Amino acid sequence: MKEKMINAIEVQNLHKSFGDIKAVQGVSFNVNQGEIFSLLGPNGAGKTTTISMLCCLLRPDEGDALIMGHSIRKDPNRVKAVLGVVPQDIALYEDLTARENLTFWGKMYGLRGSTLKARVIEVLEIIGLSDRANDRVGKFSGGMKRRVNIGVALLHKPQVIYMDEPTVGIDPQSRRSILDSVVDLKNHGMTVLYTTHYMEEAQELSNHIAIMDHGEMIACGTHQELVRIVGQMDRITLTIGSSAANEESDDILRAWKAVDGVRQVTSDDGAISLLADDSNQVLPSIFEAAATNGVRITSVDIKEPNLETVFLHLTGRALRD
Amino acid sequence: MIRIFDITSKDLLQLLRDRKTFLFLLIMPIAFTVLFGFSFGAFNKVGTDLRLPVAFLDQDQSRISKSLHDQLAASEIIRLEEFRGATQTYLENQVASEKLAAAIIVPAGYSHEVLGGKSSKLILFTDTSSTAGMSVESETLSASIRLKNAVQTARIMVQMTANGGSFDYVYDKALSNWQDPPISVTETTASAIKQQDTRIQSLAHTSPGMMLQFAIAGLLTSAEIIVIERKSRCLQRLLTTATARVHILLGHYLAILTLIFCQFLLLISFGQLVLHVNYLSAPGATLLVAFCAAVCVAALGLLIGVLAKTQEQGNIFALILMFLLAGMGGSWVPLEVTGATFRSIGHLSPIAWAMDGFQNISIRGLGIESVVTPSAALLGYAMLFFALATWRFSRAELKP
Repeated sequence: MKEKMINAIEVQNLHKSFGDIKAVQGVSFNVNQGEIFSLLGPNGAGKTTTISMLCCLLRPDEGDALIMGHSIRKDPNRVKAVLGVVPQDIALYEDLTARENLTFWGKMYGLRGSTLKARVIEVLEIIGLSDRANDRVGKFSGGMKRRVNIGVALLHKPQVIYMDEPTVGIDPQSRRSILDSVVDLKNHGMTVLYTTHYMEEAQELSNHIAIMDHGEMIACGTHQELVRIVGQMDRITLTIGSSAANEESDDILRAWKAVDGVRQVTSDDGAISLLADDSNQVLPSIFEAAATNGVRITSVDIKEPNLETVFLHLTGRALRD
Repeated sequence: MIRIFDITSKDLLQLLRDRKTFLFLLIMPIAFTVLFGFSFGAFNKVGTDLRLPVAFLDQDQSRISKSLHDQLAASEIIRLEEFRGATQTYLENQVASEKLAAAIIVPAGYSHEVLGGKSSKLILFTDTSSTAGMSVESETLSASIRLKNAVQTARIMVQMTANGGSFDYVYDKALSNWQDPPISVTETTASAIKQQDTRIQSLAHTSPGMMLQFAIAGLLTSAEIIVIERKSRCLQRLLTTATARVHILLGHYLAILTLIFCQFLLLISFGQLVLHVNYLSAPGATLLVAFCAAVCVAALGLLIGVLAKTQEQGNIFALILMFLLAGMGGSWVPLEVTGATFRSIGHLSPIAWAMDGFQNISIRGLGIESVVTPSAALLGYAMLFFALATWRFSRAELKP
């Protein structure tokens, strides 16, 4: 018999403004239990504001969300009880040790006595810091702090965990370790809502991805579904000589747009991105147009369709920091 | 509810790890109490003679001039210093250079004029525009009048008695009567006020004054914890748990209150045991004032922590309030020595009420009834500060 899949998170038409700035506009999506769902978008896209509303830190202007069936508007305390939150910033007390931090946060999540003590020891093992448990967090490296930051959210074994850009500003080794731990959480049955502006992370981790820009959700689906939006188009990134980039860029952009098989041309700081049906077919014409306009191409990069291509296709801009 | 105490114990752990806490809460108040105590003469030796030094040059060398010397030597205001063979010019220079408060010279023939009932003149070098000079002048005048009265009394008695009594006997009796006058006046300002050593009185002012001042200064460490919690996003994280905002606020408040109350208890013990400030003349009253003052200062600390956007801002708020409230409230200079207007303005500071409470106990020797009004005023301020902090904290929307 097929078991019915229940939504861990149901987001319904969320809106939030700060004065005249519309931070989130009509965002809706569902997250299945036990999956990793990523919110992908550049800085300022509205990812953190959405997460802040979902963890009852901000009250939505409109809309609602159900977390394990509990409304963020009507039942915030029940929502908080099933949630673990890993904030973007390292929200720890630097003058307390790792153990003291975990013990304090465990108490805030309602753990007491021997349960708390045992859970702190378990979490220290999970984050690989048992041997540094009695050192002050202020003395830790950025990666170690990030691990404690994640550990805090695991203390009460939440059903749903929000991770807001947990890999920002850390070394590749710590980043790898964090990505592995996110997959572990999923394997232990937790539902993970993950925000990032790193396309590769979303692509590697997620069952479903929602792309956000300017407070709106512009696409949502599996990686394959999203890539299908741009069809089989290749993304060609060209770098041109600096003098040409400054003086004759408009002419060359128009010339490349006119090439048969080129669907979209965008320019950003000397790097020019083209979406083309078939790179092998259009590249000779692109070089010919460059030569005609006196533009020197210094590098060419061809990529098959990915989330970056999708974002470029949908917004006309590159997905950057 | 239990989360309130969890936050309190976490805050106390953080505060006790911060060396600044001990600096502001214990070391500086003790150091400044001692410093101010010195400046008010609180640590002068008990045996030190504080009377004004006055030279006495007897050029008359008579029984009368010796009587004058004895009268002045018994004074509580002046201390006679002998300058045998000194010249008038030398003594005048000593007074001019402020080595002496005054110089009294009994000219030759002084006793002859006194006994003859003629106008007699002493020579006095002093600065009569100064308080010391006026005091010496007044004391010398009193002694010479007593002397003349005794001589006159003895002369009249000798004339009145038929067989001619002894002038010396009557003169001695008349003089000695001045030592045991039929009426004596003891100056007091209120029935309940006890006479105290002035050294203790100055410490009874500086001890609570510095204690209260540095309780406010210490708020910069307490408020810092709240500011850092907000800046590091720990506050936001706390709000993602099932912890109510008011519980967070109460947790922080209890930590500050505990710290300040413990500080007060330690400094009061120091004041009582080491400085001999009489806090324990009414222990219940002292505890009540200390507790209400701690409640008030802690609420102020909470307000600073909630209002300050950065640690630097928190430090500035705490220091400005320390100078303003402590200065206005009489921590440095007793409000009693200021005018009525400043005294009224000073009582806009809660410190003034706390000072009133402590001084009613340790200086004026009053009981618990004397601290009810100051305590109520302190609680009123505490409610105001706490209400403002709660209002600000509940209104703050935490932007991502």
